[in-house]
Amino acid sequence: MKFFFFHLMPWPYLPDDYSGPAWITCPNSHYDPQKGTGVYNRYLDELVSAEALGFDGVVVNEHHANAYGNMPSPNLIASILARQTSRVKIAVVGNALPLYNPPTRVAEEYAMIDVISGGRLIAGMVVGGGPEYYSNGLNPTYAREQFYEALELITQAWTRPGPFEFHGRYYKLRYVNPWPRPLQQPHPPIWIPGAGSLETMEFCAKRRFAYMGIPYFHRRVFQRNFDFLREACGKEGYTPDPEQLGWLTPVYVADTDEQAWREYEPHLNYFTHRLLEGITAAPPGYTSAKSVVRMVQARGDFMSNCKTRQDFEAGDFAIVGSVATVRQKMVELIEAYGVGNILALLQLGTLPADLTRRNMELYAREVVPFLREHFAAKKSAAA
Amino acid sequence: MSASTESIDVRGISVTLQRGGRGEPLLYLHSASAEATTWNEAFELLAADYDVIAPVHPGFPGSGGLDRIHNVGDLVLHYVDLLNWLGIARAHVVGSSLGGWIAAELASLYPERVASLVLAGAAGLWIDGAPIAEVFGIMPGQLAERLFHDQQHPVAQMLHAAGETAFDAAPPEELLLAFHQSTEATARVAWNPYFHNPALERRLDRIAAPTLVLWGAEDRLIPRAHAERYCERIADAGLRLIQRCGHLPVIEQPAAFASEVVAFLGTHPLRATSG
Repeated sequence: MKFFFFHLMPWPYLPDDYSGPAWITCPNSHYDPQKGTGVYNRYLDELVSAEALGFDGVVVNEHHANAYGNMPSPNLIASILARQTSRVKIAVVGNALPLYNPPTRVAEEYAMIDVISGGRLIAGMVVGGGPEYYSNGLNPTYAREQFYEALELITQAWTRPGPFEFHGRYYKLRYVNPWPRPLQQPHPPIWIPGAGSLETMEFCAKRRFAYMGIPYFHRRVFQRNFDFLREACGKEGYTPDPEQLGWLTPVYVADTDEQAWREYEPHLNYFTHRLLEGITAAPPGYTSAKSVVRMVQARGDFMSNCKTRQDFEAGDFAIVGSVATVRQKMVELIEAYGVGNILALLQLGTLPADLTRRNMELYAREVVPFLREHFAAKKSAAA
Repeated sequence: MSASTESIDVRGISVTLQRGGRGEPLLYLHSASAEATTWNEAFELLAADYDVIAPVHPGFPGSGGLDRIHNVGDLVLHYVDLLNWLGIARAHVVGSSLGGWIAAELASLYPERVASLVLAGAAGLWIDGAPIAEVFGIMPGQLAERLFHDQQHPVAQMLHAAGETAFDAAPPEELLLAFHQSTEATARVAWNPYFHNPALERRLDRIAAPTLVLWGAEDRLIPRAHAERYCERIADAGLRLIQRCGHLPVIEQPAAFASEVVAFLGTHPLRATSG
């Protein structure tokens, strides 16, 4: 079991009188570059500090034109982390492949990070969120096909001796020959984040890529998705290692349940009701009409419906409480989901530096070692 | 008037079409709202004087073949193929919005196939300072406000209601499916460049057909400047406005729409304009 520290790098200064979406059309006059310097450097410090706290890895991802996550280029952040850390895995989950043309750019930049970091990169590949297709002008009706072709081009670029010619439907390159090549062979581990698209899970099962479940859904949605993935692996003739399944979840630990909720709730609310506003934009053709209908019907299970502490707790949208509570909930959910990569979102929304620091320390010192031991004992008992 | 729904195969693309009436052939090209999936009031009125042929575009509910469509040019070729399949050398071509764009393209690239042309709230052009409003990713209620002058119109009411339904009272699945399928097929050709083809304007002078540009006086989706530009660039074109009407006269004012079309086409019979 591996424990990761995930950071979104959110913008914490949306004005109180702004109630619009945090995506696509959120006016960038709300971004203050003077404050941005402090925000970026604080978040980088938090990511770097995860190594000394004993995390197995740090995780960043890509979003554009929004207040939810200020990493249009996660590779820039990952390259800083490659130099400022020496042990942790650096997971970029991921690059939104259709946004890179040609996507050999991703093969190159990921290889650079892998080589500089001494082989610590986890290479995430994503279609890109729905809002990205508005912000970047890409035709969403080709999103999936283009993603699969780009992924094929990147894995070929890493594994086939260059130069070679690639002649796809979307990408036609006469000379594919990226320098540098990645250090990890045959290529860095590939993770695919997904919000429950059946097609993505079947694809991960088939190619044995790690699947990372995107949060903000009721636990029954997670359960359904992880079960589906295991079934899909079964159809391919194998039982997946738990580390082929990743679970991303907000976590907040304090001395008592009451203290945890009192400290955390305003920041969780900012995140849920300000930063998630607009994240579900699903441009036409981005997923099949059938999937869109499924999404519309499941929107009641989305985190933005949560109004009270009870709502958040009922669906386990965030794991909040004392050390004992968080331990107990995480054991229960990890067992139910059968996941082996635990990605904790320990800073979220407006959660300030001091509370983030304490949350990271409590989680790293009191929760992670307990979970490691619990599941190691369970594994050896099973063996 | 008896109308029939037919299913045909046009060079490998399965097409559903509505057909009714007698007279010279009138090819109707529908908007993103896919109003040709049923025989509607405007068709019924036109069918008194014309052989109304209203196919569903590839990828919209009832027709296949979206994998063969990558830009508006592919739709133009598809309609040349469809006219060939029907054995129609020349037709009156009437298009609304997205369909108006296709009609303008068809008439500029294949002028010999278009006897006369009606562009109703036609997309297709880019005009600096007069952008076409956003239709993708907005709430159904907002869409109703952009499409309709009269928010009490049944379709506008339906859209408003769809935006307000509770989770347990979501619109019927088939309606949602049809809506998303239409939106996807529209986005395939209209996402970027947004509802226009930068090459269209400079070849509008190739349109030989007499042209009626028909616009809702209260169109909030495509500014009037687009109607005026079509009139300036097409040799024989005139503008008529439909009062108390938003973007889609065919749906919001079917009687006025049909009477404008019939009056115009009546002065341009197929025989007189042939050759």
